[in-house]
Amino acid sequence: MNNKKLQAKDFITIGIFTALLFVIEFACGMLGFIHPYIVASYVILIPLLGAVPMMLFYTKIEKFGMITIMSVLIAIIMFVTGMGYLGAPLIIISGLVADIIAGMGRYKKSKNIMFSYGVFCFWICANYFPVVVTADSYRKNLLDGGYSKQYCDNLFRAINSKTISVLLALCFVFGCIGAFVGRAAVKKHFEKAGIA
Amino acid sequence: MQTIIDIKDATYKYKGARNNSLMGVSMQVKKGETILLCGASGSGKTTLIRLINGLIPHYYNGELQGSICVKEKDVSKTPLYNLAGTVGTVFQNPRSQFFSVDTDGEIVFGPENIGIAPKEILKRKDNIIEQMKLNKLMGRNLFELSGGQKQRIACASVAALLPEIILLDEPSSNLDLQSISELGKITRKWKEQGKTVIISEHRLWYVKDFVDRVIYMKDGVIANEWAGERFKKLGEKEIRKLKLRPLLLNEKFSNILCFKSGQKSFKRMEETDSIILKDFYFSYKRKPYIFRKKKFTQSDGEHLNLCVQNLAIPKGKIIGVIGSNGMGKSTFLRCICGLEKDCTGVIKTDGMVYKGRARIPVSYMVMQDVNHQLFTDSVKEEVLLSMKEKDEERCYCILESLGLLEYKDTHPMALSGGQKQRVAIASAVAAGASLLLFDEPTSGLDYSHMEKVGDLLKQLAAMGKTVLVSTHDPELIERCCEYLLCVNNGKVEYV
Amino acid sequence: MTVRLDPRTKLYMIFVVSAVVMMSATNSLLWALRIVVTILPIAFLIMEKYYASALRFLILYVTALGITFTCLSEKSTGFFMAFLLGYCSIIVQFLPAMITAWYVLRTTKIDEFICVMQKMHMPDGITISLAVVMRFFPTIKEEYTSIRDAMKMREIMLGTGNVIKMVEYRIIPLMFSCVNIGDELSAAAITRGLGEKVKRTSVVELKMKVYDYLLVILFSVVLIVYVVFRNVK
Repeated sequence: MNNKKLQAKDFITIGIFTALLFVIEFACGMLGFIHPYIVASYVILIPLLGAVPMMLFYTKIEKFGMITIMSVLIAIIMFVTGMGYLGAPLIIISGLVADIIAGMGRYKKSKNIMFSYGVFCFWICANYFPVVVTADSYRKNLLDGGYSKQYCDNLFRAINSKTISVLLALCFVFGCIGAFVGRAAVKKHFEKAGIA
Repeated sequence: MQTIIDIKDATYKYKGARNNSLMGVSMQVKKGETILLCGASGSGKTTLIRLINGLIPHYYNGELQGSICVKEKDVSKTPLYNLAGTVGTVFQNPRSQFFSVDTDGEIVFGPENIGIAPKEILKRKDNIIEQMKLNKLMGRNLFELSGGQKQRIACASVAALLPEIILLDEPSSNLDLQSISELGKITRKWKEQGKTVIISEHRLWYVKDFVDRVIYMKDGVIANEWAGERFKKLGEKEIRKLKLRPLLLNEKFSNILCFKSGQKSFKRMEETDSIILKDFYFSYKRKPYIFRKKKFTQSDGEHLNLCVQNLAIPKGKIIGVIGSNGMGKSTFLRCICGLEKDCTGVIKTDGMVYKGRARIPVSYMVMQDVNHQLFTDSVKEEVLLSMKEKDEERCYCILESLGLLEYKDTHPMALSGGQKQRVAIASAVAAGASLLLFDEPTSGLDYSHMEKVGDLLKQLAAMGKTVLVSTHDPELIERCCEYLLCVNNGKVEYV
Repeated sequence: MTVRLDPRTKLYMIFVVSAVVMMSATNSLLWALRIVVTILPIAFLIMEKYYASALRFLILYVTALGITFTCLSEKSTGFFMAFLLGYCSIIVQFLPAMITAWYVLRTTKIDEFICVMQKMHMPDGITISLAVVMRFFPTIKEEYTSIRDAMKMREIMLGTGNVIKMVEYRIIPLMFSCVNIGDELSAAAITRGLGEKVKRTSVVELKMKVYDYLLVILFSVVLIVYVVFRNVK
């Protein structure tokens, strides 16, 4: 029972929580359709909302690899849904680092979990990667493709290679805040109900 | 005969639980025996099943003492996957126990896992399809099947592993009468094939004829044991005393529930004070309109899943709603409480006419899975949430009347199933709904809990609420229903 | 006529389409290819009898494409135009990948999927988890529908209370259900031997047929053309 290696039931748990997280991401993505600027607020929305399932997830398995595998799954799903593979390294590395940080606190210390989740939230920036990394050529392509200059300006005002570091920082900060919120939700509901 | 399961002095406590779930249980099972486990919920039946299939101690955390041997293997030292080919388990909830999305994949899932050659698997699959007559279910999406059909696929999936021991953990909980007798046939066939079968069950009528031994559990110990023949002859009184459901299906109800003949033993509708449902038409199958949603009328005829032109429901009474699965019971309830927007029926009561969204506050449905309708973090909050003007006095009053006052600060999810149901009812009362709908409130309940639900419904009726309860449970109907509505192919009639 | 594609072909389709949507089309040849790789999955959806979703995708795509092209010819200015154009270009850009993903998700059985992943020597952990993700989307949908119904009945709706509560009432019950279902699902899967050390077998016979090869060649050509154009420029 106290096997340190991940077992079949852990993989199932990982799958379930990945599905939940992705559903939340997708819901936020739908909001992004309302206006391009909302796309930029992913870095706030997703860390906060995603924290609820994630904080429960942290209490569920407590074995090394849980977050790494989740990040691999997210990378695959992102790729499949057309977000490209450029973000994959970022997603997987942040997942791995998050795993290590949480592992150092044996998946129990709240400080470690907070930082771990903050780092994990970097994956959200992968949403912007295709635009940022290829920003210049992308913009040129858009203009060549006949998109109006105004639209391009609109798009790139919010997202360019300078803002990516800001976005990463925002992800981290809101990840940490989200960790608090999520933990509060877990305490309020799941611990009180005896699950987790 | 050879002993295949040997449990010696097993005591078990779940992690975080206050009491032991099992206390010093010893039991031997011989190869080829068929055993029925009965007893109230919480008496340790499920825990015993989990001991045999190895989920305890390999999956659930807790403290285990004693030894369990299955086919001379110590379960606690045998990894679960080594038990997979020996012990198969059919679980209670048909919704959560399948891994695949399609029926074919589900049947071959087990054998594939334990690495059996593909040719052999396909042979087994064909055999099982033939045996269980599953032809019609093949190539379907599991999410589209009814509970009974899912449960048959679950049985097939377990059988495909060719286990010597098959465990069934309250398999009939979510099924209608027809599916239950179907399940009985499958189990009987397993017995004939010489498999060792252990069934944990509340409903005794479909298993009593072929079990070899009956074990009665109470508070974590084996309290009594009978040979199958003896058990069958137990009188009604003794069964009642054990708090078990009856051995025989009351014929009056089984006939009605299976639509054999219309015995008229229920009160006929008199034109007294009543709630009138008018023009409730609904269909899931839309005619090919793409952009414009079409309102349904009677002229849609055959297409309709629900067709109620004019129906009077006596006020302040309990009305049972029966009918096989897929005949439109749930649709009927959903339309009444306004969940199906496209159903444009009108509710008339007390000289008021409710249309469209106005219907929602009139009625309230307690869903089959109550978990979906509990939102807050305490029972009190849950009730207050339903009130337009937050009135703590009244909230306590309601809780008091439903016996929930001592749990007012507990998280709804920490309560037992029956208590959750009462919380949902409390919020319905708080919302001021006068028409309460129940979707299978007693599925999977033992006799005494069923009795409690029955009493609760009576209490609601006494408070002046009109209660519509959709059910497969003949004992519940006998206990509390004064009128009986039968839903057949979308048509609703009094029996 | 039904053409059932090999799951590997489907995965390759996803790979190519996802790569293609990342690169913008700059001339009519590239646009044509892009449209081809969008129409193909829609055609397959129709072949697999998912008429409604195929039609919806088709309408959405054609409309967006139409608007993009007509607006592009004029010099589009103004807030509304930029707005509309923004929508449509996002749709035109990413919808192909969505359609393909939808098609593959809908028509690939979990069994086939696991088999392919094993053939590609993916670690078991990732295979199992991904299979669960695939199985769990419909479950989440089912559960969420019930929860929304329950909210409707109690007249808890967006806009009637504070936002945090609205989100809480949706996410928390959903998570309770999912955790419960997950527990039962794992128990059922494990007692049927999931996670066994023995190599898993599969009754799925993977066989590339003629049209599989044709499709792979077609999609490879598309990919090559895109890569070449991109780098030549």
